[in-house]
Amino acid sequence: MKFLLFALAASAADFTTHVQPILEKHCTSCHGATVQMGGLDLRTPEAIRKGGSKGAALVAGAVGKSLVYARIADQTMPPGAKKVPSSEAAVIRQWIEAGATGEGKASQAAPKHWAFVAPRRNQPPRVRNAGWVRTPVDAFLLARMEASGIRPVREASKETLLRRVYLDLIGLPPSLEEQRAFAADPSPQAYDRVVEALLNRPEYGERWARHWLDLVRYAESNGYERDGAKPHAWRYRDWVIDAFNRDKPYDRFVTEQLAGDEVEGSNAETQIATTFLRLGTWDDEPAEPMLDRYDQLDDVLGVTSAALLGVTLRCARCHDHKFEPFTQKDYYRTLAVFQPLKRPQDDRKDLDRLVGTEAELAAYNKAKEKADGEVAERKQKIDRIRRDVMKRLFSAESKARRTQGLTWLDHAETVLAFATEAGRRTKEQKALVEKFNSQLDTAIEEEGTTDERSQMALLKQEVAQIDAARPKEPPRAYIWFEEGASPVATRLLVRGDPSRPGEEVEPGVPAVLGGLPEVKTTARSSGRRLALARWMTAAENPLTARVMVNRVWQWHFGEGIVPSENDFGVNGQRPANQELLDWLAVEFRESGWSMKQLHRLMVKSSAYRLSADWDESNAKKDAGGVLSWRWKPRRLEAEVVRDMTLAVSGRLNGQQSGPSIFPALPRAVLEGQSVPGSGWNTSNDEQSARRSVYIFAKRSLAVPELELLDAPDTTSSCEQRTVSTTGPQALTFLNGDFTNAQARHLAGRIGDKPASEQVRQVFRLALAREASDSEVAAGVEYLSRRPLESFALVLLNANEYFYLN
Amino acid sequence: MAGHSRREFLWETGAGFTGTALTWLLSQSGFFANAAEVSPLAPKKPHFAAKAKSCIFLFMYGGPSQVDTWDPKPTLNKYHGEPMPNLESDPLLKVRKPGTLLGSTRKFKRYGQSGIEVSDLYPVLGERIDDIALIRGTWADSFAHGSGLLQMNTGFIRQGYPSLGSWMAYGLGTENQNLPAFVVLLDHRGGPISGPPNWSSGFMPAAYQGTQFRTAGDPVLFLEPPKGTTREEQRDQLNLLAKLHQLRGPAGPENSELNARIASYELAFRMQTAAPEAVDLSKESEATRKLYGIDNERTEKFGKKCLIARRLIERGVRFVQLYSGGGHGDDNWDAHGNVDKNHEHHCGSTDKPIAGLLDDLKSRGLLDETLIVWAGEFGRTPTSQSRTGRDHSPRGFTTWMAGGGVKGGQVIGATDDFGYAAVEGKVHVHDLHATILHLMGMNHLQLTYFHAGRNMRLTDVHGNVIERLL
Repeated sequence: MKFLLFALAASAADFTTHVQPILEKHCTSCHGATVQMGGLDLRTPEAIRKGGSKGAALVAGAVGKSLVYARIADQTMPPGAKKVPSSEAAVIRQWIEAGATGEGKASQAAPKHWAFVAPRRNQPPRVRNAGWVRTPVDAFLLARMEASGIRPVREASKETLLRRVYLDLIGLPPSLEEQRAFAADPSPQAYDRVVEALLNRPEYGERWARHWLDLVRYAESNGYERDGAKPHAWRYRDWVIDAFNRDKPYDRFVTEQLAGDEVEGSNAETQIATTFLRLGTWDDEPAEPMLDRYDQLDDVLGVTSAALLGVTLRCARCHDHKFEPFTQKDYYRTLAVFQPLKRPQDDRKDLDRLVGTEAELAAYNKAKEKADGEVAERKQKIDRIRRDVMKRLFSAESKARRTQGLTWLDHAETVLAFATEAGRRTKEQKALVEKFNSQLDTAIEEEGTTDERSQMALLKQEVAQIDAARPKEPPRAYIWFEEGASPVATRLLVRGDPSRPGEEVEPGVPAVLGGLPEVKTTARSSGRRLALARWMTAAENPLTARVMVNRVWQWHFGEGIVPSENDFGVNGQRPANQELLDWLAVEFRESGWSMKQLHRLMVKSSAYRLSADWDESNAKKDAGGVLSWRWKPRRLEAEVVRDMTLAVSGRLNGQQSGPSIFPALPRAVLEGQSVPGSGWNTSNDEQSARRSVYIFAKRSLAVPELELLDAPDTTSSCEQRTVSTTGPQALTFLNGDFTNAQARHLAGRIGDKPASEQVRQVFRLALAREASDSEVAAGVEYLSRRPLESFALVLLNANEYFYLN
Repeated sequence: MAGHSRREFLWETGAGFTGTALTWLLSQSGFFANAAEVSPLAPKKPHFAAKAKSCIFLFMYGGPSQVDTWDPKPTLNKYHGEPMPNLESDPLLKVRKPGTLLGSTRKFKRYGQSGIEVSDLYPVLGERIDDIALIRGTWADSFAHGSGLLQMNTGFIRQGYPSLGSWMAYGLGTENQNLPAFVVLLDHRGGPISGPPNWSSGFMPAAYQGTQFRTAGDPVLFLEPPKGTTREEQRDQLNLLAKLHQLRGPAGPENSELNARIASYELAFRMQTAAPEAVDLSKESEATRKLYGIDNERTEKFGKKCLIARRLIERGVRFVQLYSGGGHGDDNWDAHGNVDKNHEHHCGSTDKPIAGLLDDLKSRGLLDETLIVWAGEFGRTPTSQSRTGRDHSPRGFTTWMAGGGVKGGQVIGATDDFGYAAVEGKVHVHDLHATILHLMGMNHLQLTYFHAGRNMRLTDVHGNVIERLL
């Protein structure tokens, strides 16, 4: 740029050569070909002169009156942190001062933001040290390293690598047996065999589903005043686990969650997937019902755009997006996709629904209706007989019998209550009837004639037979529903205010990202979500595949290739290695969207197998620390720490799937509720020792050892856990009931042996490695003064224990 | 904050221990004398100089009735028993099916130099009216406890946002690393509706969330080692923890994060002394206990909490929130059945303790640097419910502030003749929040946290500082 300024001193700035590149770099993504925010187009001098809603943006010779310069100079534009450098602003200034000449061609293809252009197939680069390359991923990484004169550090030890890949892929540490087997296997394929075995274990799905549940803000209660349970929401959790375990292709995975009720062959499984759309918070007593309705839709749109597309579309609810080329109209067009969804509810009561294929549901309903009718008919007959008997029972003639013990009939009110038809009884009468019903049954039995008794017995038998022959109820699921083909029109809301509807909009997607394919409406639903899913999973979609491969990279390596994992927009971060990202995205799509294939490419790479060794000279050449020449240790997620601790102590209950569990919570935690303990049905010890993914996700109550270790807030999509370190966290793991109980179990598991052997065994179980001599010495010294469970507790708190090394 | 990963962001705001090379280089060069200095709660400079250094928020959960306490309405009494005029003008009133106007049975009296009228429910606090700025034009968005509480605490009627205390902890850190920055003292009858989301840090790290302090037993969850573990043994445990780290600590930038973990255990160890000491009232004089009403069964419980609040802010805690009222029904201020009976109880148990807190802070020279806020999640209707009770009403109610640079002895805003809706000098909850932050030295427009593509604020896109209050 210095050179450019020098040149400018001699000759006036030219629009096409000097000014346009600057505007294209900083401005035209929002004021260009696709989007003209504020009506402003900055592609040609003429368009700039014309200006936008704030009037002319350029007055030749008058810098002060030229908004295009003024807004850049006072740094109000562009919004966000990336400003136009003063050297470049000076170029624009000089151009205006010199008369703002030039015509400039409005390039239709003003360079689009990288992430909004579909990735293309590329080839892994050539590298000098080809022997280091185990999977194509390595070639992309090594090429960058070689270009910077960096050599990757050595490979991690077998012990470290085994613990790493176990915790990463299944979230549990290797058992002693597995440690021994791997140590004893000298084959170069030993590690790859472990990877394959782990990918085939059901614990893999439990571990990886948790990553996904973070993104979709999974919870099983509604939040707010009553924080009511979402009935059967856990079926979605099981669906996600199952999808990972069966390697459900990601395009299908996305499609079922968005439109499992609209896909061809829609069935219980695909419908359960749409629970995705209904996982948000729900205020059952909203202050403003209309606003609340749009809040709910905003929540669905927010999680869909952030988790699946990696864009912050939600920011365009009240006005055009301030940083991204998304207009308010884009927002409402996308919102229209979800507009037909209805919440099954009965006032404040949240309802689930039966799920299954159309045929299954129809057959069930038909059979149920038939059985209901048959049962009702017989019950009526029984009732008629009972009423006859009751009439006699309550009549004066039976007075004699009353003296034989049925004193309750002396109360006129009781008699009246029974004599009244069930539906017409008052609250008090209902209570009376309830109280005396079993006595009444006996009395009716005694009062009835033989004929009456046998009639009733026969009818009851028939009812029992009909009930027994009823078809099994299909599963219930926590989903929305659509009613039909003609949903209400969607209007843009001025300032996001539901009381100020503006122009009507058609369902769509942000214009800068393309357009929806044809929406095929059926009698049952609008078909809009299926169209959205088809657009998202189409080959030309620039975001879906990239966003997901980036997440898988993040979940393996700690940080995404694009470190702002939920924001691929202009305001997000650039990829550290776009060639790699794009190669992975295309490979992902073309290999049939297989998640397990992605794991193999990453986990079997040399980069994944690196040690955490530090190299001063590499560090100097890699200022940002982005070149992957070493493994970066990172803290394990709260759930992994809890599950690992249960595994280490030997108490882990591996039971899979089903309704959620409620581990015991300390009294002090329950005291924060307005009704302490409400909505928390404490499970027994055995159930409480299941994996954390099965713990009931209650929005107003949290398990301390998860919450204090940065478990995600469940109100919006969480793409990256925070890592905070606090005093209360240390207290929880040092003094808390959970860790102390597990430390006792761990000590019990080790049993009586020489102190040095006890130390070694705790190290093997907790850290999956042999203790060094100095560690054994420190441990033995400690055990000379303190009990084994105290030593075990320290290991369960150790830095190394909490980290993926 | 554009284009930063969450980890980097944490570092920039000093809000976390990060894995960046920079942190490591700084720690290697001795930049941090010890790892605790990069604590997310390290004290930070405010945006501008301010008097208030800490804040005590007195939360009257359930919704106190303004017309029976701080906002006399002779017109309401005059029309007692008649239907409320213009009932149709507010859809909310139609939905809630209000009874007829219910005059207040309370006697109002002028107090202090300012001559502001206060009801006989607050005879002791009335005498301190010259220290208090009454905000009679307060209003909020929700008539329901759940979303109302959330809004008074987080600014939003939707769940998932950081609470006021979290914003303060994030913006200012805290002066005493051995105690939490943000302490919540609940009523002995239970927590408020919605529970912990009221003191949650929302999308911010858990380090900023409120910590429940109990006034009996362990003040902090898991503060004490389990039975049978002595303090000496715990010391031993921490030494071993540090030793194992030294024997095998990796050499990379994550070392500062790991050192911070070791430091957090030391902090926990110090908290074991600091927290019980902070809630230990045995060294307080008889006169002080009396001042807070601890000698009287009626005021003892809330009095103790007020005294603990003073002790906490004296020890550098940034934000203390006290709840008056817990659980459901008349255990809190939710006077649907009989407003007199309910409020006689709740005012009676808080009047003396709050006055004691004001007096005590004043005599210790702490009132100027301590902001006191008094508020419920909403007020109550001037119309009746169950003959002698009142329903929720967010349209107009009274809150107040004192100390911390607040100009006392004044009334801000007014409700209509019946005391239903704020009509003059209206102060929305967002304005209240903007003002509280301002008094603590923070500009609510500048105190932002980047989340989901936006710089989020406590006040969302609203909020005006109440200039008259300053």
